[in-house]
Amino acid sequence: MSDQVTLTIDGKTVTVPKGTLIVEAAKQIEQEIPVFCYHGKLSQVGMCRMCLVEVGTPMFDRATREPVLDENGVQKIGFFPKPMTACTTPVSEGMVVKVDSGAALDDRKAVLEFLLTSHPLDCPVCDKGGECPLQDLTMKHGSGISRFNYEEKQHFPKKYPLGDLIVLDMERCVICTRCIRFQSEIAHDPVLAIENRGRHAHIVSYSDPPFDSHYSGNATDVCPVGALTTKDFRFGARSWEMKNVPSICNHCGVGCNTVLGTRKGGSGTGQLKRVMPRQNETVNELWICDKGRFGHHFNESPNRLTTPLIRQDGQLVESTWADVLPFIGEKISSIKSANGSTALGGIAGARLSNEDLYLFQKLFRQIIGSNNIDHRVGLNANFEDTTAYTVGVGVGTDLSQVGKGSTILVIGSDLDQEAPILYIRVAGASVKRSAHVINIGGRRTKLDAQAQTSAYYQYGTASYLVLGILASVVAQGLVNQEWIDRHATGFSEITKLLQDFAPDSVADTTGVSSAEIEAIAKSYAEAENGIIIFGHEAGNDPALGAAIEALAAVTGHAGKPNNGVIAVLPHANSRGAADMGVVPNRLLGYLPLEGEAGLSAEQMLSGNSIKGMIIAGADPASESDTYRECLQNLDFLVVQDLFLTETAQLADVVLPAKAVAERDGTFTNLERRVQTFDVGIDSPLLAWSDWLILAAIAGQLGADWGYASADGVMAEITQEVPLYQNMAFENLVAPVSLDRQTDHYIYEGMSFTADVHEGIQWATVAENEQQKITLQLVVPENHTGSDEITLVTPRILYDGGRLLAETDVVQSHVFQTRALLSSVDAKKLGLNNGDSVTISQNGTAVNLPIQISRMLNEGTILIPRNIEGRPAERLVGSSDVHASVKVKKS
Amino acid sequence: MWSEKERQELDKILEKYPPDRKMSAVLPALYVVQRRKNYLTDDDIKDVAEALDVTVTHVHSVIGFYTLFRKEPTGKYMVQVCTDLPCALRGAEDFYHRLCERMEIGSHGGTTDDDLFTVEGVVCIAACDKAPCMQINLEFFESLTDDQIDEVIKRLRQGESLTAVAANY
Ligand code: SF4
Ligand code: SF4
Ligand code: FES
Ligand code: FES
Repeated sequence: MSDQVTLTIDGKTVTVPKGTLIVEAAKQIEQEIPVFCYHGKLSQVGMCRMCLVEVGTPMFDRATREPVLDENGVQKIGFFPKPMTACTTPVSEGMVVKVDSGAALDDRKAVLEFLLTSHPLDCPVCDKGGECPLQDLTMKHGSGISRFNYEEKQHFPKKYPLGDLIVLDMERCVICTRCIRFQSEIAHDPVLAIENRGRHAHIVSYSDPPFDSHYSGNATDVCPVGALTTKDFRFGARSWEMKNVPSICNHCGVGCNTVLGTRKGGSGTGQLKRVMPRQNETVNELWICDKGRFGHHFNESPNRLTTPLIRQDGQLVESTWADVLPFIGEKISSIKSANGSTALGGIAGARLSNEDLYLFQKLFRQIIGSNNIDHRVGLNANFEDTTAYTVGVGVGTDLSQVGKGSTILVIGSDLDQEAPILYIRVAGASVKRSAHVINIGGRRTKLDAQAQTSAYYQYGTASYLVLGILASVVAQGLVNQEWIDRHATGFSEITKLLQDFAPDSVADTTGVSSAEIEAIAKSYAEAENGIIIFGHEAGNDPALGAAIEALAAVTGHAGKPNNGVIAVLPHANSRGAADMGVVPNRLLGYLPLEGEAGLSAEQMLSGNSIKGMIIAGADPASESDTYRECLQNLDFLVVQDLFLTETAQLADVVLPAKAVAERDGTFTNLERRVQTFDVGIDSPLLAWSDWLILAAIAGQLGADWGYASADGVMAEITQEVPLYQNMAFENLVAPVSLDRQTDHYIYEGMSFTADVHEGIQWATVAENEQQKITLQLVVPENHTGSDEITLVTPRILYDGGRLLAETDVVQSHVFQTRALLSSVDAKKLGLNNGDSVTISQNGTAVNLPIQISRMLNEGTILIPRNIEGRPAERLVGSSDVHASVKVKKS
Repeated sequence: MWSEKERQELDKILEKYPPDRKMSAVLPALYVVQRRKNYLTDDDIKDVAEALDVTVTHVHSVIGFYTLFRKEPTGKYMVQVCTDLPCALRGAEDFYHRLCERMEIGSHGGTTDDDLFTVEGVVCIAACDKAPCMQINLEFFESLTDDQIDEVIKRLRQGESLTAVAANY
């Protein structure tokens, strides 16, 4: 039998794959069947009855199974006695569907009348008004009047806080359960439910805190009415007044596509009213996390820098660009002539755009003549990742397509915290599409509940574990010899070294049994597609990267779509910062620097050879006292930033920069996808884009760069960085292919009109037939287990970063400084929630209250990085992830 | 907290379900904890959620769906009169309002001053053919008249056991 089915919908014939739902088949011929509860990304429940249609099938004689013919010899169609829900009924051969005929029209009218019996019809003040399926469908299909007794309308409180970011107006709810299904099926935080029945049914959340999820804002997007609204946008603007500007989220490396809903305010300046997800199936599908959605209010913070500042008599005072720029030029030149160019250094945060970072390295390497540049401060000090360049996920990788037959190995990353939308996609690959997800980490994480396999290593032994998996792949004869011959050299050398890392020998060190290691090796190697995602908690260890690279290569899981490696880097443009060579020992394109490397951020900030620095979009002073002292002792410090950060307070000159929403540029996400963002709103009058500031400083030092736009800088990058040769803005904003066009918003499309793009990934060595990967392993440092408690310091979503600190609406979500301890350890130490402990390591001690956590195993204490007071960094230093500590009651 | 005895009861209940489908035991588990006070407190609900690996929100949602679970203190006897359509057609709604008025709790249900009875109107209790009908705790009373129900209430007030009274109906 054929896999295609042909049917007729309102007289039009359409052929679709077997199993297609009527509503989807109708979409293909642009016959819109109205829906509320149906959503293409969610399970089908058929509970709102809006999509009722008449359905008939060809008649057969029951006894003979012969077709029943009419007088003209045509097979008769038997219609079902009752209407059917188009959102749950699959098509069948010869089916006849009536959408726009008498009975179906009446049904629709009746269903709408029912749905509206208690609806307040307050569209004029409802935030959904103008982009509301209920409003639109009522206009189109509803009856003009209600026969319902007004006095008997069901009433509910008007603005019930469902969580502290989401407000519920239950009177508007049509009980479609889209929000509930989003939370349990996509976010895997089943914190919403219906309580009570019939007219008393209402949406509740009893989690502690209520609506406890990193993804709550998406529930407002899928809500087909104005029942769920976000706290910050309520009554903010009408949907039709806003201009929708394509942008990219700047809060983590996933690179979610967003739209900035902006409106010209009374004063004529653009205001950012809301941030919503912009569909990009290859990156974020239809979702963004709450940090991305709510974390934009820093833009309008009163603490923004609005003008250049210069130090006079010890105080920072307001100045002008015309005054500060020549001063910066003079100071840099005089340090250079007195102490040489290596006395100058720069740190650029990985939230800057590729254009900024490119000019940053150009300023230092070409104009100043120093290799002392780095972007790795804070969350990823000293991290070196070469896997992206050799075996990074293949061009065309799309996690939303990864499913059965694929294995995803997640190593040392709490994705729900570090890269939320990546979490959603990996969890979805497992739950929805049956990919084999293997979650390996030092502790339990949220993904364990969706992964089919979990394994736990001792912190610090992830590299042993990966070597063990690799050794097992070789021992089980699962290598892809043909791929190795074509793409790699050095295989026979590494097999020798692997003999020391057989599963048996690493089992004790890692705490993962040899049977588990062998099973993981088998699943990964034999999978049709294999992806490795590794994160911060796998450790900062060159042996790890080398082993992961070899594992991907010898199994042939590289160089093609849906295969390869993703390093979970912390910031929106961590990948781009490496690509642009803002690293002391790497040039543009991450090519190794011949000759003497410059100083890393950590070296610059701990020694005394540096006399002058430019720090752009980074705040090392907040991180450690050593760094702060070092910065205080500099002869000259220029800081360009949005706020007067702790580092800026130490500067001689502070320059106001534009935020992402106020300028254009590109970010490269952790899958190496280069994406553009546009200018959404006006910046403070005197703020400049970082690339422009850098070009102006270069000008003072005699350069004549003449860039007029970020676009122009990118044009040069395409010439200078072969990886970026296709990244000209006009390519990056090319419209997406037709099959990626977005849906109508009553289904799962966006409710606004904005350009959608997919961005462009650059190709890895594995994708280049001319180049070969040199396999090389690094022997991990000796791991000595300890009986003390292990402190782990993961990255978290709501940390103490400055952008969040300047965003009021999320304050209650920001992590309150404390340590998490397992219940076993708490019992041993006689501790209750809230008790204070002293945690010490090598002479450093911090006092913190504790919270008992069910997620931690015995012998582990957890303090997130980058939180108020920086206790984690003080105990483990800036590049380590864990340490053995002593914990006692204080 | 689960008492030793409740624990054993719960374990027995759980035996009936596959270990990864503990969720299925929400209803029987709720009956066990509701016996503690005749209604469910936040702690009872949390006990069930933790024992069955489901969210507190999910347990609340189940409680909200079924009329036999309560989150407010009630009288010792829960008098639930069906006022659903088939019963209403046989006068059950009026019967219910009259009962409430005689018990001096307004006409839409509530708890008597002595905290002995809570009266409420409920949807179908599957005795439609014998309307007006009601349930007191888990005992059924069918084809009732005003006099009969007054008699039932009187006997319970006098301290007779529910089972003894129910045996006559
Ligand atoms: S709140 Fe919105 S999404 Fe949730 S059930 Fe009601 S109408 Fe549906
Ligand atoms: S997952 Fe990352 S990129 Fe996406 S919205 Fe959240 S913070 Fe932004
Ligand atoms: S029943 Fe089909 S859309 Fe709700
Ligand atoms: S309708 Fe009253 S018992 Fe069924």
